[in-house]
Amino acid sequence: MTQLNDRIFGVLMLVLAVAYGWGATQFPVPFGGSETVGPETFPKVLAVVLALSSLYLIFKQDPDNAWPKGRIVLELVIAVLVLIAYTLLLQPLGFIPSTLLAVGTLCWRMGATPVRAYVTGAIAGVVVYLLFTYALNLALPLGVLSVLEGS
Amino acid sequence: MDTLGYLIDGFGVALAPYNLMFALIGAFLGTLIGALPGLGPANGVAILIPLAFTLGLPPETALIMLTSVYAGAMYGGRISSILLNIPGDEPAMMTCLDGYPMAQKGKAAEALAISAIASFMGSLIATIGLILLAPLLAKFALTFGAAEYFALFVLAFATLGGITGKNPVKTILAAAIGLMIATVGIDSTGTQRYTFGILKLYEGVDFIIAIVGLFAISELLFFIEARAGGGKGPMKVNKLTLSFKEIREIMPSSIRGGILGFIAGVLPGAGASLGSFIGYTLEKKIIGKKGYFGEGDPRGVAGPEAGNNGASSGALVPMLTLGVPGSGTTAVLLALLISMNITPGPLMFTQHADIVWGVIAALLIGNFLLLLLNIPLVGIFVKLLSVPPKFLLPIVTMVAFVGIYSISNSAFDLYFMVAFGVLGYFLRKLEIPIVPIILGLLLGPEMEKNLRHALTLSDGDWSVLWSSGLSIGLWVVAFIGLVLPVIVGPILRRRMKAAKELTD
Repeated sequence: MTQLNDRIFGVLMLVLAVAYGWGATQFPVPFGGSETVGPETFPKVLAVVLALSSLYLIFKQDPDNAWPKGRIVLELVIAVLVLIAYTLLLQPLGFIPSTLLAVGTLCWRMGATPVRAYVTGAIAGVVVYLLFTYALNLALPLGVLSVLEGS
Repeated sequence: MDTLGYLIDGFGVALAPYNLMFALIGAFLGTLIGALPGLGPANGVAILIPLAFTLGLPPETALIMLTSVYAGAMYGGRISSILLNIPGDEPAMMTCLDGYPMAQKGKAAEALAISAIASFMGSLIATIGLILLAPLLAKFALTFGAAEYFALFVLAFATLGGITGKNPVKTILAAAIGLMIATVGIDSTGTQRYTFGILKLYEGVDFIIAIVGLFAISELLFFIEARAGGGKGPMKVNKLTLSFKEIREIMPSSIRGGILGFIAGVLPGAGASLGSFIGYTLEKKIIGKKGYFGEGDPRGVAGPEAGNNGASSGALVPMLTLGVPGSGTTAVLLALLISMNITPGPLMFTQHADIVWGVIAALLIGNFLLLLLNIPLVGIFVKLLSVPPKFLLPIVTMVAFVGIYSISNSAFDLYFMVAFGVLGYFLRKLEIPIVPIILGLLLGPEMEKNLRHALTLSDGDWSVLWSSGLSIGLWVVAFIGLVLPVIVGPILRRRMKAAKELTD
């Protein structure tokens, strides 16, 4: 059992505290001249609090939690990439196809069989689309499926 | 009796068919959310906030729906405790102790019904307590000045970890991070802070995006890591045979549990976990050898369930009257209030009396709805529970995406949400609590405003922050709140665990 996690995190937070505190000293003087309490007062207090608590972590750590290894890291990266791709595709591709892909891939990666995973994705996409469009009157992007709209 | 008049008006609001419908939807969704694995009440309410927005609900309706969700989630938590011996959240742990043995004896339906009745009693008692106590506290809070409010906010952070919390330094650290995120944007004097020239950051970080990211997205990542997509074993519920006598027998336990739970809920830092824990231990003490606790005693189900629900209603008292939430879920409810442009606190009772009392009345009505929903419909909930997370969590994630997207139609917000999700994953790995970050985001602007007020009035003299008796008292309680868990926490946690292991 190592205790490196808290130490590394503590150092990172200490850097953040210093950068944040330094940032507070760089604010332009507000219109109407400097006052006893300004925009920088509260951030400075926060920087001190964060610095002190990260120093504590650097010197006194809790035992680490195990980090995921190998394949699981890959799975986690895939999940995050899927979410980013979902965001990226939502507008150009449209809600239903991108939901099919995103929900389907996530279900599949979490252990469902591919067919059931993508069927779930398709059903979820269509149901939520219909619900939003007709019941809630909210427009979700139709994307490539907009050709169907005209017919 | 002003209170009674307001309450009647409140019922007028809550019983409007439109609001009643949303209360019913909320109660149903809440029970589901509470029952589903890994979807705690805070998480569920967070995901539903964007939807409440996009529906364009008026504030009282949105709040009524989400308080019903909140109440429902507390009901739902017990289903998996009783049927599977897996508590949905920490407060539900004590329900496992006698609930699961009852289910093993083929009395699952009775255990579920008893817990529903006990939950109802607990909430009812606590809501009555809320009605009596909240106006008094609100009146008292009117005497608070800026310095007292600043101290009160510090107290809220200090006690947030709760008596069962682990490392108080990590709570402080998390609170500081949250408050720092809250300072991003243009402040009240028009100064840009930490915007790095990015136009999107001028308005600050939207806390709803942060909340959904930190809770929902990080939950998905945790499930993937735990490879828990398969779900749990099959669940069966027998036919319900519950006599009136059995209901009468659990009443004393429910009432005691409810009162204790309410007190635990109102007190800063105690929370629902403690409510259900003392609810259970007290029952064990009072009934003693006459009972058969740990082997499926119905009173062992009723006590903690009433305590748990009493505490969650009690937790609304500080949130509504002082604007200071005591738990993750009430923090999320506070987020809803702030984003509806309602500042919680003593003034809300005068300025938005219709909303406050509408919500309180909705809490009462919601409880009746939940009792009605829960006894006959428990079979449906159990069925829905057997949907494995591998299908469920991706869909929940998608709903979160749609919710955020429909607020602003901006992809930027979605990337932000994913980033918060990844951040949340790492923080939870490091055992940095998420709730103080969210509370920091929510309370940051108010906290800074009060600090500035106090310091401007005193011309920069910091001692103004601890110059009145009241503020000194608040600082002392805050200090105790930080130190006490270090001493008492390990003992309490060990006891809860020991009690659980005894029955396993």
